[in-house]
Amino acid sequence: MHEGERPVIWPAKANHVPKDIFVREDVFEEELHRIFYGDEWLMVAHEAEIPNKGDFKTVKVGRVPLLITRDQDGEVNVFYNSCSHRGVQVETAPSGNKRSFSCPYHRWLFDTKGQLVGCPNKPGDFPETFDRKDFPLARPRMAMVYGLILVTFGKNTPPIDDYLEGLHEHIAEALGGDGRLRLLGYQKVILKANWKTYADNCTYHAGLLHTAFQMLDWQGGKGYQLANNRGHRVYVGELTFPKSVGRLNDPSLLEFRSGSDPKRGSVSVRLFPISGMTKHMDSMAIRFGNPLAVDLTEVHYTYFAHADDDEELVRHRVRQASNLLGPCGMVSMEDAAIFHRLHSGSNTPGDAVFLKGVTDEYVVPTTFAQNDESSNLPGWEHYRKLMGYEKGQT
Amino acid sequence: MKGVNGAILEQIDALQARYVAALDAKNMNGWLDTFSENEDASYICTTAESVSANLPISLVLDDNRARLKDRVIYVTKIWSGIFADYNTRHFVQRTACQALEDGLYEVTTNYLVVNTPSENGRAELYSTGVYLDHIEITEHGARFRSKKVVTDTAVVERFMAYPI
Repeated sequence: MHEGERPVIWPAKANHVPKDIFVREDVFEEELHRIFYGDEWLMVAHEAEIPNKGDFKTVKVGRVPLLITRDQDGEVNVFYNSCSHRGVQVETAPSGNKRSFSCPYHRWLFDTKGQLVGCPNKPGDFPETFDRKDFPLARPRMAMVYGLILVTFGKNTPPIDDYLEGLHEHIAEALGGDGRLRLLGYQKVILKANWKTYADNCTYHAGLLHTAFQMLDWQGGKGYQLANNRGHRVYVGELTFPKSVGRLNDPSLLEFRSGSDPKRGSVSVRLFPISGMTKHMDSMAIRFGNPLAVDLTEVHYTYFAHADDDEELVRHRVRQASNLLGPCGMVSMEDAAIFHRLHSGSNTPGDAVFLKGVTDEYVVPTTFAQNDESSNLPGWEHYRKLMGYEKGQT
Repeated sequence: MKGVNGAILEQIDALQARYVAALDAKNMNGWLDTFSENEDASYICTTAESVSANLPISLVLDDNRARLKDRVIYVTKIWSGIFADYNTRHFVQRTACQALEDGLYEVTTNYLVVNTPSENGRAELYSTGVYLDHIEITEHGARFRSKKVVTDTAVVERFMAYPI
C-alpha cells in the first residue's frame, strides 16, 4: 500500500469482492510485486512454440522482458531479456530463429544457452578480473510440465509439482493427453479491462451471455468444477449436440474428429493468477495473459494440434479453432465485450457479489456444480491473503 | 496494372467500394453479396505476423461459401445485442492488379479501418493492412472469389465482431 492511499477493506462476506481493486493503480502496482513478481508460477509458453534448435520467442511478464530459446542441444532456456553488461533489452522480435543474440549497444554476443561468446574490447579496457564466463544472461527459475514453460520470480515459490498438486491429469487432458503438441498459431487481443476481470471470467462462462452456448445446449450443468486454495480452477463440461447444429450452414465448425469424449468435450484449467489452458472439442489452446496496466490486459490464445495428428485432423483443428474461439470466435467474441463492461462498471462504489452456488455467505466454498460462479471464491480468498487485506467486521 | 484495361479496373474498384460501403453500413447481406456464388468463395483474415511465421490459425477462416453465410448469421443472429457496438470507416487504396486465367484478377489493396465505439464516440485506428483478393468478372459483374485480409495489426483491439 502506498502511503496516503486509502486502505483496501475486504468485505466480511466470503462472496463479496470490492470493486475498488479492479480500478486502483496503487493496487495494480502492489499486485505486480506481491503476485506476478512473487511466489507464483506463471506460464509463459509451450515448448511446441519453439520446436527447432535456435527458435526463440520473447514475452513480458508484467514489465519484465523474457527471452525463451531452444538451444543448440535442443534444451529450453528462459532468460531475462537484458544484456549482462548495461541491461539493454537483447532481443525485440516476438519470435524467430537465431544462433546467437547480439546486444546492439556494445556488441555483446550471447549464444542460445545465454553464454557470453563475444564482447569487443582491447587489453586494458576491462578490469583484469573480467571473465566472459561470469556474464551469462541471467535466468529466472523455470519449470516444464507437459511442455508448458513456467517461470517464477519469487524466492519462496513451492516446487512446481506441489504448486500444481491435483491438476496434472487435467492439464494433460487439455493438452492432447501428453503435451506433445504442434504449434498452429496465435490470436492476440488487448482487453481494456483489469487482469483480474479477465482471469475471473476466462473459464467461468455465464451461460446466459453466450447465445451460441444456448444454441448448442452447452452450460447445461453437466460436468464438474474443482477449485483449490491456491486459486487454481478446473472446469470440465459435457457437450451435447442438438440433432441439427442450429442454423449453421457449415457444421464442421462443431464436429468432434479427434476421437475425444464429448462427455469431457470442454476441459479448462486456470492457474492463479492468470494462466490458462483449454480444450474445447478439437481445439487445444493455452492462454497467456499479461497485465499491462490497471485497465489493460493483453491475451495471447496459442493453438495447437497433437504431434501425432494426420494433416486432415490438423486442418480440422485449424478450421475449428480459428472461427470458434478468440477475439472473433463464434462462442467467445462477446467475452471481450463483457470484460470491458465489467471493468467500466467497477468504477462504482460497493462490491461485486457472487451468488450462484453460494450456500453460506461467510464461508469460502469447496465444492461446486459445473456452472456455479462460486468456484471463483477460493481464488479470491487466496488473493486477499497474498495482498494482505484485512477482512472487515461483520 | 499490366494488361488490365480501364473498364476492368472500374469494375474492380466499384466492387471494392461496394464492399467497404456494406461493412460501414453493417449490411452483412450486402457484404455476402460481394462474394462469388462459387462454393469455394472465401474470406480469410489473418495477421502479417502469422503469415511470416507460416502459421495457419487465422482470426477469421471462412474458407467456403457456407461459412460466409454463417458469418452473416454470427453477426446478425448469434451476437445480436450482446456486444458493445462500434462504427467503422474503411479506407482503401488499390496498389496492384494483374490478370490471372479464366477471368480472374489478382488485386492488392491497402486498407485502413477507423473504429468509433458507440459508448465513447472517440475514433481510434483499429486495423491496417492489405487485402489480397482474387476477383472474378463474369456477366453478373465483379465478385470476390477469395478475399484474404492480412493485418499489420498483430493484436486485436478488444474484439472483432464485423469483418474488415
